[in-house]
Amino acid sequence: MNCQDCQEFISHYIDGELDEVNSSAVSSHLSICDECVGLFDDFSAILANCGQTDLDADALPNPRAMWCRINNVIEAEIEHQPEPEPIKQGLFARGWNLTFSQVGAAVLGIAVISSLLTVVGIRNYFEPTGDDFTTRSKESQTTFEKVLSKVGLIDSPELAREKRVNEQRAVIDYWTQRVQVKRGQWDAKMRDAFDRNVNEIDQAVHEYTRQLETDPNDDLSGEMLDSALNEKMNLLREFAEL
Amino acid sequence: MISPLIISLISAKVIKTTVVSLLSVVFFFALSAHEISGQKRFSRSYPAGQNVRLELTNRSGTVTVEGWDRQEINISAYLEAPAATLVPQSLSGTIYLNLVKDNQGRAEVGNVNFTIKVPFTSSVDIETRIGNLSVSNIRGSLVRAHITSDGDITLTNIAASAVSAQNGIGDIFFDGEIQSGGNYRFSSVRGSINLRIPFNSSFKLVATAPSTRSIDLGPFNGGNMRLVGDGRRIAGQAGSGEATMNVMNQRGNIAFIRR
Repeated sequence: MNCQDCQEFISHYIDGELDEVNSSAVSSHLSICDECVGLFDDFSAILANCGQTDLDADALPNPRAMWCRINNVIEAEIEHQPEPEPIKQGLFARGWNLTFSQVGAAVLGIAVISSLLTVVGIRNYFEPTGDDFTTRSKESQTTFEKVLSKVGLIDSPELAREKRVNEQRAVIDYWTQRVQVKRGQWDAKMRDAFDRNVNEIDQAVHEYTRQLETDPNDDLSGEMLDSALNEKMNLLREFAEL
Repeated sequence: MISPLIISLISAKVIKTTVVSLLSVVFFFALSAHEISGQKRFSRSYPAGQNVRLELTNRSGTVTVEGWDRQEINISAYLEAPAATLVPQSLSGTIYLNLVKDNQGRAEVGNVNFTIKVPFTSSVDIETRIGNLSVSNIRGSLVRAHITSDGDITLTNIAASAVSAQNGIGDIFFDGEIQSGGNYRFSSVRGSINLRIPFNSSFKLVATAPSTRSIDLGPFNGGNMRLVGDGRRIAGQAGSGEATMNVMNQRGNIAFIRR
């Protein structure tokens, strides 16, 4: 028997479970092999130690008693737990715990905004301007409008005016063509009156355009230019109907 | 020898022929004279309620509208040659006359000069492409007078809450009351705008004369009025500012006169 066979049988040998042949072979090997003897001694010591252990200490606890204890502990903890706060809804759901300084700052902010709105309202009341954005200049733009035009969400007053004028000129070109077709049917008096009025409006348009070139922020000239071009559109349209 | 009977018969026939010829000549000349003067006359009356409305669009010619104390509208017109087609319509308390539409595409149309009488509580909305407009003695809700090109607008003794007068080259004269909550708009390209109103009128004003900068507020000078844009505009309030007035003269002057 070699060491490997001996070590396989050694625990059965100690328990006396081997037959006579194997038991005598193990005994013979142990008599000549110190290593296997050492293993035999270790196994024997373990088994001896196990045989001396207190049965009460190693016995499994009573499951019912254990669950009873666990249950008591849980119930005791539930009794001492504070009641949960009611769930807040709406504006204060997120827990608006404001300090005195924060409340003060909020009130001050509201007061400042209200004052600004009042000032803007009074200025608009006493300062009649054009009805639409096309007649506005940079100076009359609000801060909000300036920010929006900076980020490109709205056109600047100059660009808006330019777009508007281009649209008006396109309409004027259209009606001018229509008038050219019709004017041959008019009598001399009608033609003279038409030409005289167109000329008068053109002079006004020229005047306002020149003023805007000098001062692009001139609100009033922008408004007047818009009005004069509207006059011309209406004149052409109404004569084209004849 | 010819008998006296035959002679007398021949004489009678000659006289008859002569008379007929003379009458024909007179009739021909009379007819020609009428065509030379070139005017046809149109006249029609319509029964009207208190709140009747007149809407007239003329091509060329003068329009005079006068309020009177009768519940009827009387339209009288002189049509110069070549005479315009004139088809008045009465629908739901409104009298419509549209000579632009009725004569659209016609090569030549003569002036049509209207004189129209309406109940003084009527609303009046008149316009023409060329020619003078005149409205007087009206205190309905609306008076609108619009001239596309040349012509003067004269509004006298008006007490309407909405008044609009607009022309190209020509003067505008308004003589009337400013109603509380009313809206008044006067606009011209070139001419004079003269407004004669009671000194105790209450209105918000925006008056603009960008070219001449000639704005004479008369009895409303000072107070809550202020110059805007280097004197090209005057904005402000007279009294408690119950009505709204916008006056614009592109290349002319504006003046207020005490009534």
